[in-house]
This record gives sequence, C-alpha cells and structure tokens, in this order.
Amino acid sequence: MNRPASVKQRTELPRRYLVILALASLCASCDQWDLPVEISFVATWNGDPIACDSATPALTDLRFYISDPQLRDSEGRWHDVRFATEMSWQNDAVALIDLENGEGACVNGTPDVLSDMVGVARAGEYRGLRFTVGVPFSLNHANPMTAGPPLDDPAMHWHWRSGYKFLRAGIRTENDGFWIHVGSTGCEGTVGHVTGCRSPNRIQIELPEFAPGGSAVAIDLAALVAGIDLDDEVPGDCSSGPAESSCTAPFGALGINHSTGKQEGTQSVFSVQ
Amino acid sequence: MKKFILGVGMLALIGVAAWLMTRESPYEWELPPDVPVPVVPADNPMSKAKVELGRWLFYDKRLSGNETMSCASCHIQALAFTDGKPRSIGSTGEIHPRSSMSLVNVAYASRLTWANPLLDRLEDQALTPLLGDNPVEMGLGGSEDRFADLLRSEEHYSRLVTEAFPSDEDPHSLLNGVRAIAAFVRTITSYDSAYDRYMAGDTSAMSPAAERGMALFFSERLECFHCHGGFNFTDSTTHANTTADRVGYHNTGLFNIDGNGAYPSDNTGLYDMTGERRDMGRFKAPSLRNVAVTAPYMHDGSVATLNEAIDNYARGGRLLDEGPNAGDGRLSPFKSEFVGGFELSAEERADLVEFLGSLTDDSLLTDERFADPFLD
Repeated sequence: MNRPASVKQRTELPRRYLVILALASLCASCDQWDLPVEISFVATWNGDPIACDSATPALTDLRFYISDPQLRDSEGRWHDVRFATEMSWQNDAVALIDLENGEGACVNGTPDVLSDMVGVARAGEYRGLRFTVGVPFSLNHANPMTAGPPLDDPAMHWHWRSGYKFLRAGIRTENDGFWIHVGSTGCEGTVGHVTGCRSPNRIQIELPEFAPGGSAVAIDLAALVAGIDLDDEVPGDCSSGPAESSCTAPFGALGINHSTGKQEGTQSVFSVQ
Repeated sequence: MKKFILGVGMLALIGVAAWLMTRESPYEWELPPDVPVPVVPADNPMSKAKVELGRWLFYDKRLSGNETMSCASCHIQALAFTDGKPRSIGSTGEIHPRSSMSLVNVAYASRLTWANPLLDRLEDQALTPLLGDNPVEMGLGGSEDRFADLLRSEEHYSRLVTEAFPSDEDPHSLLNGVRAIAAFVRTITSYDSAYDRYMAGDTSAMSPAAERGMALFFSERLECFHCHGGFNFTDSTTHANTTADRVGYHNTGLFNIDGNGAYPSDNTGLYDMTGERRDMGRFKAPSLRNVAVTAPYMHDGSVATLNEAIDNYARGGRLLDEGPNAGDGRLSPFKSEFVGGFELSAEERADLVEFLGSLTDDSLLTDERFADPFLD
C-alpha cells in the first residue's frame, strides 16, 4: 500500500523543479507561502449564536478535527493551505477546533476555546474553501498516549474504537437533548495494527462562497439535529454504531451515508457566515 | 602471549559475571508446572515493583473523576473480580450497557471485553474505563493530569514507579500507571479449584455428582465445551507458547426482537464493531472459572442464576414473552450451531451445577497478593 518515499521523490522531483523554474521566470513571488490564512469557526442555532450558557437550547459540546484544507482560485483550481505548527492545537496534518468553554451545559468540556484554524497559502486570489472533518487514516490509529498535540487529547480519542472522535457535538433543551460522536467504525486488526475501517465516516466540507479574510465558517447545530425528536423528553445520542438508528439523520445532515460511512449527498451543517 | 590470552579470558569472565549480577532476574510467575506463562507485551515487561504499584493503583479511588471508585469497585475479589450487578454503574451513576467481566486469568484472554476484536492488550483496554465518557465509568477523562500528579506527590508511589520504570527520565505518567495496573491484573491467576486438584490427580477433590456433571459438560449432547473449552473454559485463550490467534464470538440466542435476530440496539455485540450483519448478537464466551460466584450472567446480566442459564441453553435459545425485547431467541438466524438445545433430567441438571461449582477457586477469592492494600 505505502509507496516508498524514495521512488516518489525520484519520479516527482525533476518535474517539481521545472514547475518552480517556470513560475519563477513568470513572477518572483508566485510560489511563496506568504499568504496568512485564518479561518474562524462559530457555533450557531438556526443562524443565531449558541453557547454553553445559552438558555435553551444550550451547547453541550462542539469539538472537531479538520484536515486537508484547500482554497480555490478564480479558475477553479484547489490549492493547499498549510497548518501553522507553532500552536498546540495544530500539527502539519490536523487542527483541533474547540468551540465549547467548559461552562454552563458543557459539563465535560475544557476552558480553552480554539476557534481559529491558522495557516499559510501561496499568494493568490481565492474564493471557496474545502476541508475534511476527520483525522487521516495514517494518524488515526496511532497511540494517543504517545502522540503529540493536538492528537494527545484523551477526550478526542475513542479507546475502544481505536481511533479519534473526529467530531463531538451536543445540545440540551429544557427536557431533552442529543449528542453525537463521529469517528471511523468497523475497523479491522487490533489496537496499534489497524489495517482498515469499513466505515471511515470522514466528513467532506466544500464551501464555494467562502472568502478568505471576510468569511467565517458556521456550524449549525439545528441542522445537525433536524431529524431528532427533541420533544419526546428522551435524550438521544449517536456514537457512530451501525445499530444506532439515531445516527441516520445526523449522518445524513453531515453528508454521510450511515450504513456505508461514505460521503454521499450534500451536507447542511457547515456554511459560510 | 599465553599470559596475555589468559588475562583477556579472565577479564571476559569477570565481565560476564558482572553482567549476570546486574541483569534483572526474569519475573517469576507462581503457576502450576503444567500451566503455560501468559503473553506479556514486549514494551511492558513484568517486575515485582510494577505489580506492587499496579495493585495499589487498582484499589485507589483517587483515579476516578469524583474519587468515589477504583478499578476494584467493579472487579471485587470476593466475587472473582466481578461486581455482582446485572450492569455496572459508573462513578457518576451512569449504567453501563454491559456486565462487569471477571479478571481471573484475563492474562490468557486473546481478546478483551465482551465483544471488541480490536483489544488484545490490557494496557489499551484499561483506558476505556479510566477515561471513557460514553458511558462514564471512572470518569478521569478531562483530568488525566491528576494520575501523574498522584504518582509524583505520594512518596511511596514515586518510589515504586521509579523502581518499576528505571530507564524513564520521568516515570510519573498515566501511561506508566496504566502499564502497572495491567501488570498487576496479569498476575490474577487461578488454578486451585477442586477441578484443578482433581485434574492434578486428587480424585477425591470432586464429588461423584461433580464428576457426572463434568461428563455432561464435555459431552456432544450438551456441547458446552465447544465455546467454554480449554484450560480457561473459553475458546478465546492464548498463551506464550502458542502463535495461534484464537478468538470466538457466539450468538447464544438470547434475543430475537424483530424475528430477524436483532439484539437491543445498545448491545449488539460484535456487530457494533464490525457492521457486518452476521455478527449480530455475537459475544465472547467468558471463562467459566469461578462461575458460581459471578452471577448474574451474560453480557447484560439478564440471566440471574446458573439454572436459568442452563434453561436457555437446554431450550436452544431464550424465549422472552413480553416487553420491548420480546422474541424467541431459539429461532434467531444468527444463533451458534452449538446452541441446539438438549433435554436434561433434574438429577443431571443438579450434577452439571455441581460441576460448575467445582470450578470455584476459594483461595483466589481471599488471596492476599490480590487483596486491597489500603485495608492492611
């Protein structure tokens, strides 16, 4: 499965040099990674802000990993954004976004709020953002006890499913509530030796109208729980299990087919604000 | 020249002797001669200091979020390290979907917990009860740092953890604490039941009734031994002298909610891990050692007594007449081929229960090596 790095380098390096040379002759700054990119995330309920101390509904949790962020240029081509790695909530592959502050209804939360993904892109004009909510497979099944930040947060690890919780979110109403944990399921092998997962459950987000510098990304909890009965006074939950019918609607809202764990259809939870 | 060679030889001998003296002696398992040594992960070798540290931590309530429960709260020695409840209750009152499993001879388990094919090391398994929040068990998640702080602040913990992990620059860590607990749990072995003494040649150890029950247990008529076989009375057994990866999951016909074999949605067994329909209701066959003291039974504690468990197997699956889980497990399409049902006379049933009672190791239930050190 793994392609040896040396082979990859031998075949790709000369071409990369050619490209760099060509670009350098056109303009001196085109290939510079000098465009700061800062993407803010906000929690909403039907467009209004929702927080741990909101009256009702209140946020109970909202934390997720994002990976593979890309911006789109005016010709529709996608360009990588590199995570800045100076901060503890990012490494070069994932960023942890944490929109709860441990107060009010967020009883199992943390005081730190990490609302911004920080990185750099090549200089250019961009409109449109896409990213994955999830941890790449190559990092998802490593040992969280020895992993570096932000993959060292035990609250984001699912020890018995042997992988990270890509997304944990929840809300509470007066007499009801719902929480969801999304991560890969149906994984094969044993801890430390996972060979693959039947349901990857990684969420692909594409926001064509996103304008760097002017837009934030809103996560609408109302859209996430749209298919859940919040009046039956029976708090519900979904931990990505195949037998959990309570997962079907929220997975659909995230654009994932609950029975296959694959991307299918359009998500309605993440939007440009 | 001869003198030179002799000198070199002497130096080499002194070197070897010094190496032998400083090398740590291998851990001594206190096992009967014919019992194999369990598998120990290469990165967590056994040592006396580590086991001692693990025993204290196993019984230390400060390892739970609200300091009300320790590992031992759900794994009580007098109950062969189960808790006597149908389903365990976490430190914050949440009811676990599953029943606490015995830790006796768990060092020989090829896979851990009721139905998790991913878990083959206690070091990995222990993180779920410690840190998990779905459901909350010990509830240390969110305040993990307290584990290392405790190791550092208590002089006797600091001494033991330094001795147990001598090559670590700073051994005070959650990871090392969990390794120590795993090492202690591996020492909880039991081979002194009446059955063991009988097998070792003491034919008076088991009553004639238990002997008759043993014949029934190992018969093709009852089929018990297919899943509860081997020296640990479970087919999910491994040890240091084997390379075979044996693990068995079985649907015993406890539920058939929709007529298509469904189990309650919060307790579908292997299906929850694999998503494969054929894995519905498949759970690991637990060891039957000490089974007489580990009631109630099954993954969800829904069977109160050994007689009730035998009834279900005799019927070839459980019938639930009413309630949300009603259905006839006998007709489940996922049921094990070894749960076909059998007829048993009243006397035979009493003999079988007598045999199961002979698997209790009374010395284990009070063995000071496994007891709560805080009570000393």
